Amino acid sequence: MRRAAALALVLATALLIRGAASGEPLRTAALALGFALIAAALVGDLFERLKLPRVSGYLLLGLLCGPNLANIISRSMARELQVVNGLAIALIALMAGLEINFMRLRPRLAAMARLGGVILAALYAGLFVVFWATWRWLPIAPHETGLARLAIAALVTIIVASFSPTVTIAVITDTRSRGPLSELTLAVVVLGDLALILSFTVAMQFVHWALGGVGPTQVGVVPRVAWEVVGSLGFGAAVGAVFALYLRYIGRELTLVMLGLCVVLSAVGPRLDFEPLLAALAAGLVVENVTGGGGKALTEAVEQGARPVLIVFFAAAGASLHLDALAVIGVVAVAVAALRLALILGGTALGVRHSGIDPEQGRLVWMGLISQAGVTLGLTIIVAAEYPTWGTNIETLLVALIALHELIGPVLFKWALARSGEIGQMDAVAAVAPGAAPADTPA
Amino acid sequence: MKKSAPGFREAGGADPIDAALGDRQASPGIGRLDLLLRTRLALGLEATAAPTLVFLPLGVVCGPYGLNLLSSAVLAHLDAVVSVALAALGVFVGLALDLRSREDRRLFLAADVESGVTVVIVAAAVLFLLHSWQAPIDAPASAIALALGIAAAASSGGGADAPAGSFQQLATHIAELDDVMPIVAGGFVIVALGGAPLAETVRLAGLTVVVGLLIAVAGWLLFERAHDPAERGVFVLGALLLLGGAAAYLSLSPLLTGLVAGLFWRWSPGRADQIIRNDLQKIQHPLVLLLLLTAGASLEWSRLAIWLIAPFVLFRVTGKLMGAKLATQLAAPLAAADLGAYLLPPGVIGIAFALNVQQVASPVTGAAIVTAVAVGSLVCELLALIEPPGRAEGR
Repeated sequence: MRRAAALALVLATALLIRGAASGEPLRTAALALGFALIAAALVGDLFERLKLPRVSGYLLLGLLCGPNLANIISRSMARELQVVNGLAIALIALMAGLEINFMRLRPRLAAMARLGGVILAALYAGLFVVFWATWRWLPIAPHETGLARLAIAALVTIIVASFSPTVTIAVITDTRSRGPLSELTLAVVVLGDLALILSFTVAMQFVHWALGGVGPTQVGVVPRVAWEVVGSLGFGAAVGAVFALYLRYIGRELTLVMLGLCVVLSAVGPRLDFEPLLAALAAGLVVENVTGGGGKALTEAVEQGARPVLIVFFAAAGASLHLDALAVIGVVAVAVAALRLALILGGTALGVRHSGIDPEQGRLVWMGLISQAGVTLGLTIIVAAEYPTWGTNIETLLVALIALHELIGPVLFKWALARSGEIGQMDAVAAVAPGAAPADTPA
Repeated sequence: MKKSAPGFREAGGADPIDAALGDRQASPGIGRLDLLLRTRLALGLEATAAPTLVFLPLGVVCGPYGLNLLSSAVLAHLDAVVSVALAALGVFVGLALDLRSREDRRLFLAADVESGVTVVIVAAAVLFLLHSWQAPIDAPASAIALALGIAAAASSGGGADAPAGSFQQLATHIAELDDVMPIVAGGFVIVALGGAPLAETVRLAGLTVVVGLLIAVAGWLLFERAHDPAERGVFVLGALLLLGGAAAYLSLSPLLTGLVAGLFWRWSPGRADQIIRNDLQKIQHPLVLLLLLTAGASLEWSRLAIWLIAPFVLFRVTGKLMGAKLATQLAAPLAAADLGAYLLPPGVIGIAFALNVQQVASPVTGAAIVTAVAVGSLVCELLALIEPPGRAEGR
């Protein structure tokens, strides 16, 4: 009751302030952040009580209060909220890295890789064949033929097939889940992200070449991809090593230092063409696997620092969801979403059969692969900027798909985690060995 | 009032606000800055070093006219953080205001008289000088004069580690309480600088209070019911962002929204004040340092700014001494000269208010006021070194 009253008060205050302003003031950042933080936290809590993911609550609050609906968060405020995007993506990937312990996963690593490989192969092959076959009816570039059609279809396939590591990791962290399903899903989305970076870079070069632009040999695809992937991992590992030393020898003000680390990863990395997500993941892996993790202090720091960043990140994502795109391209988007879902389901079934993964553990993995968010959007923006004619058509389709998947994905994944009994297991492990590494982690 | 470990005003020690907030553990970074301040002891100076003396010049060095680490673009990005820092300062002042005992109310009255006299003297003098000089200004002269008067009125006594009931503690308490009236008056001046008519100014100042109250009530409903420390942190941070952000959005005073919220949390039932104190302690010192660095980096040596520095210092000192004389009539055990010496160091509230003025005023006027107040505060801190608080008491 108190929380409902507080939410009503915060909403009333925001409405009062918005109503009292003449025009659109310039200084909106702090108000947008404060409103999103409190209101989304309260709606997330409400969702938690309804057995739904908090992340969905943050998204819904953003969507309802965003510029497309109530307009409490105006378009400029929504843009201001996105200042946390880079930080949030780095933080989420760091948290993912901290959850992946190779010693613990070693017996299943090969099987996980096989499962991921089969799912990705099924997705890529299935989507490409259907897009190619139905090209003239797809509202992208129906007039293109031959090599150009092949290249654009490949590019669309790669983007549509992408997962959302951020949403997957956020749901796992938010529900404090740990167990085979969490680990398996995490492994597949990370693998998917690696494949996405590689295949997107290659596909863009192919499109350049097919449309008569710069040839792939002239720009050096292999060195570029190698720099991006290997460089990102190396940069992240170096930052992770420095953080591990800090943890061991100083270990104070961890929340602040961890957030600073994520700022470095998200701000410095892209200037060197490094992928922040990969770099942060590598940093987390180094801390967890080389130094044995940061123990309880780091867990608390992550919990303290991650909560506000995640809330604002997902509220901003909700406020930026383009329902209008869904209205414009709804039928096609729903059809493509249904195809993607079917392929993920089929790919998972096939992968479980051929990977040696315990079917009980593997059969729910598909539910963690539905979400799409920032990474996908980022790629479509690159395409639209480079090819305004048909690129913007891809952007409209993908924005509609993201709107669908971002609302459905977290709910499905939390349901899967609940069914597998993994929710809350992160805390259970910590309670067994407070201040130490998980029980099944070798010292 | 709770006693804190001796240290340094606003950067980790014996500030009245710190005292009200209780003991804290300095972070390693702040600890090193403390060390820097302690070098004053080696120079034979008082241990109550003001961070203004260190961080304002550091801001100048890092600013656009120095190393350009705090470039104009960075300062623009920091604008939102400055609003939140101002709101946090307002909350600190509100939380520290306790008027339950008759003695507290008497001291509060004395503090109001003292700060009121300073406001009147500085504002009247500046208004007269602006008219005499025909100075090139692009805002109402009365608003500029009042802004300088208000910035001059705040003090930082720096004797929170004094024995209970001692002269030093009473003087420090007055210095602490004299921030309240300038913040309230500042709420009106910030609105008036926008050039609104009187009725609109009153309405907007009222809106500042209403917004502060609404956010305070929302916070009060949430703080105690948070499920865990992380969620409580979210609520506290959100409330602060809302207090600063709402004021920034409407070009109002974040100091006043923060003060109103702080007062509400101080006087409302429950543990809201304790919770916000504990959580704000973690960010108090970084915020103060940020304000001082930003102020230092924002200095611009215009003719108007240079003209205003000397009158600001001169009439501030006059106002403080005359105000102290009147205040001693209300706070009997204090001697006027001693109290005046205690009230001389300006602390950070005046600079914070000047930064708020810069946010809402035209660039020329805003920069001139920040420069005059910041440099004037620096000079007042140096004067306080020459005649440190407590020396008069010992005579």
